[in-house]
Amino acid sequence: MRTGLRVAVGLLLLVGVFGLCIHYGATYDTNWPHPTGEQLATDYDEYVDDRVLLIGEVQSTDPVDETLTIEITDDADEVAAEIEIHDTTAAVEPGGTVQAYGRLHSDETMTTSEIVVVNHGLTESQYKLAVSVVGILLAIGYFLTHWQLDLQQLTFSRRSTTTTGDHNG
Amino acid sequence: MAEFLSHVLIAYTVFTVVSWRVEWLTKQWVAIGMIGSLLPDLSRIGLFVTDVTIETTLGVPFSIGAIHTLGGLMLFAAIGSLVVADHRRRAFALLLAGGFSHLLADGLKIWADGAASTWLYPLSWYRHPTPGWYVSSDPRVLAVVGSVTLIVAVVDRRLIVD
Repeated sequence: MRTGLRVAVGLLLLVGVFGLCIHYGATYDTNWPHPTGEQLATDYDEYVDDRVLLIGEVQSTDPVDETLTIEITDDADEVAAEIEIHDTTAAVEPGGTVQAYGRLHSDETMTTSEIVVVNHGLTESQYKLAVSVVGILLAIGYFLTHWQLDLQQLTFSRRSTTTTGDHNG
Repeated sequence: MAEFLSHVLIAYTVFTVVSWRVEWLTKQWVAIGMIGSLLPDLSRIGLFVTDVTIETTLGVPFSIGAIHTLGGLMLFAAIGSLVVADHRRRAFALLLAGGFSHLLADGLKIWADGAASTWLYPLSWYRHPTPGWYVSSDPRVLAVVGSVTLIVAVVDRRLIVD
């Protein structure tokens, strides 16, 4: 395939990605069974007494009262709601992330039947980030060991040196 | 998602084991599969640009989360295959398989309501029940995956190549 044609097909596929993201964004709220941050901010009463799944960052914890407060954000990462969760002994610090599933009450509290601690605190977020960077570098490093960039053709081609040493290549 | 390193190691392990039986699946194509395992997390672009910023710019609803689905994976696997010099169908298949291993691994995660994400989109919005094996920040995931990878890498080097 000629370079010009490949670039054109690539651009067409990128348009397809945009189209997919637009369709997903337009239909997500009606297909996701739980309220999103936007829906909580604009139509909270609609979900009172429903069993909902909320994912949020922990703002404060009170081990004595067995409560914790989580912040739900919207698509702009703005705070959409602050929900206080009762009767929980989940081991989590402020800055951690939890999934809370349970009944939502009108006073912005929640009685959960299940809490999942995704990150106990900031340390775990940093662990994920650091390990992820290692993963990206490993994948790219391994790839570049076996493939080389041909700038003229705008393609990656297999390095000949690795072909001969391969047990099955 | 699990962290990227576990996803990359899962892809390496699976494709390396398959390469013991499939002659054309050389280290070079294993590398393509590993790159594929990163594709669903291109949705992490959302850490730098919010959906609302793009929605405001385009004037239409937008969710970058679509990339972390079968549909997003198919499109990016196709884009990726275009930058490979030859055997583009093979490259597409491996990018797709690598990304699929990522989505499948994510489908085993714990969700508080017991159902996985909507990763089958656009085929379906169905959220399948999840076995709830792990949370993404659990270092034991990497310990298990890393151990299996090490065994496979040693077997591949000592028993298969030699």
